[in-house]
Amino acid sequence: MASTEEWRRQFTKYKEDVKKRGKPFYPYAMFEDTIMSLVVVSVIIGLASVWYFTSGEDPKTCGSGDSCLLGPRYSDPADPATTNFVPRPDWYFYFLFYLLRIFKWPDSVILGTVGIPTVLLIIAFLLPFIDRRMERRLTRRPVAIVGAILVVLSMGVLTYKGATAKEALASEVVQAVPTWAQRQGFAGNAEAIAGAKIFASSGCTACHTYLGTGSSNQGAPDLSAEGKKGRNKQFFMQYIRDPSKFGNNVMPKFGFNDQQLSQLAAFLLASKGPK
Amino acid sequence: MATAARNKKSARRRQLEAAINYPIDWLEERSGLIGGLRYFLFRKVPGDTGWWHTLGSATLTAFLVQALTGVILAMYYKPDPQNAYQSIQHITNDLTLGWLVRGMHKWGASVFIILMFFHMARVFLFGAYKYPRELNWIIGVTLLAVGMLEGFTGYLLPWDQTAYWATVVGINLNGTAPFLGPFLADFLRGGGEIGTETLARFYSMHMLLIPGLIFALIGLHLYLVIRLGVSSPPWSREAAGSDYDADEPATNGRSGLTQPAARSGWRRNGGDDV
Repeated sequence: MASTEEWRRQFTKYKEDVKKRGKPFYPYAMFEDTIMSLVVVSVIIGLASVWYFTSGEDPKTCGSGDSCLLGPRYSDPADPATTNFVPRPDWYFYFLFYLLRIFKWPDSVILGTVGIPTVLLIIAFLLPFIDRRMERRLTRRPVAIVGAILVVLSMGVLTYKGATAKEALASEVVQAVPTWAQRQGFAGNAEAIAGAKIFASSGCTACHTYLGTGSSNQGAPDLSAEGKKGRNKQFFMQYIRDPSKFGNNVMPKFGFNDQQLSQLAAFLLASKGPK
Repeated sequence: MATAARNKKSARRRQLEAAINYPIDWLEERSGLIGGLRYFLFRKVPGDTGWWHTLGSATLTAFLVQALTGVILAMYYKPDPQNAYQSIQHITNDLTLGWLVRGMHKWGASVFIILMFFHMARVFLFGAYKYPRELNWIIGVTLLAVGMLEGFTGYLLPWDQTAYWATVVGINLNGTAPFLGPFLADFLRGGGEIGTETLARFYSMHMLLIPGLIFALIGLHLYLVIRLGVSSPPWSREAAGSDYDADEPATNGRSGLTQPAARSGWRRNGGDDV
């Protein structure tokens, strides 16, 4: 750790050295800056062109007719009522998105959503006051090197995992409903089967697991044996209508009508765990 | 005759120079801006700076692309749930070069974020956040956080399924924060549901509040870069301000084989002022 006088002496010397041996910003540094800026603008135009010319006006043509190398121009219009859509943030939040799959609701999810990002941000802000040595050469900053490698590696892995995390598609999940009914023994219960179909097609399995299908995303619990917890139908209906009233601020409100809520509740009530 | 022609030419030249210089001198006398620009352009930077040091201005360029394309998009975009999606379709499919403007804005956002991370990594690896540049590092980290917030608020605006459900999750995540969380989530939503209020709110933040903040922070950031100068690459043998004699005395056991070479290199290039 260097004393304030040493730092000041070094900076005074820096200013003298630059004055004596430096080069003027224009044209030398500005030339490189200009070239780099042109590269940046070209890359942006290139990405926009590939994105536009490999996609069509209708997002449904992606995969059939259009290659959509960089994704569709837009997905279907926002629809808060039908929710067979897998929520996923923009790519630079993937690391956060995947961090939430590691922590399970409700005890530790706050660590993933708030704790880790806040701690990282505080460390980033305080870095100049944590590392107060004068040394700038990397070969003599082992802690900085190891720290940088760990941060880049973990961010990279989390981003990759977030990008490739497999959420089951709603259409595939619906196929599993007859099997569920058989294994759970509610094959004769028409209301529960209707509820199971809503559950399967509304994107619930993007976060919840049911008999091995789906994910455990954002800490959402496995619902295979939810009906064994001694809760009644009314409880399930109210919970799904507005999870935040039960202290659950992660699960969104889905805007189901009363009939759908009743069917979903019947389905959960009939899920006593596989026989 | 030759002398007369030269005199005539130089008189014309003098007139021309006076005509060009007059407005420049007028502006300089009343604002000092010309002197400021001259200082900015002809200030000295360390002789060993190179391509590594272009990441900051590249990030600035990406941001300016966002500002320019954003202004054009705002002329055609309609920030309410009934019209937002159609206006995005109209911009992308119908308007002349609308696809280019929206495409550049969409992809420029990712390029901007990536460049901020690269620029940050460069500053970290060069140890350029150390005295006297601590404050500029803090402003930079703030810019990164605010820039990601700009990405989050902009992601909702196309009002498609991707946008809507990403925002549902994002707002609910904010809601899990202790104490402030529920208030923050309510503030972002502008009510109990994601709808008209939310979109208007995100639009206003995305194109007024946050860009204003980013412009102000970039201004401060650049002011400090110009005032304090940029640091030489740490491996450079003629790094400005490095003082190997005081930093690594000859008696220091750690000075290995590389040290004498580094020192002699330093002496060769600037030995007279040691």
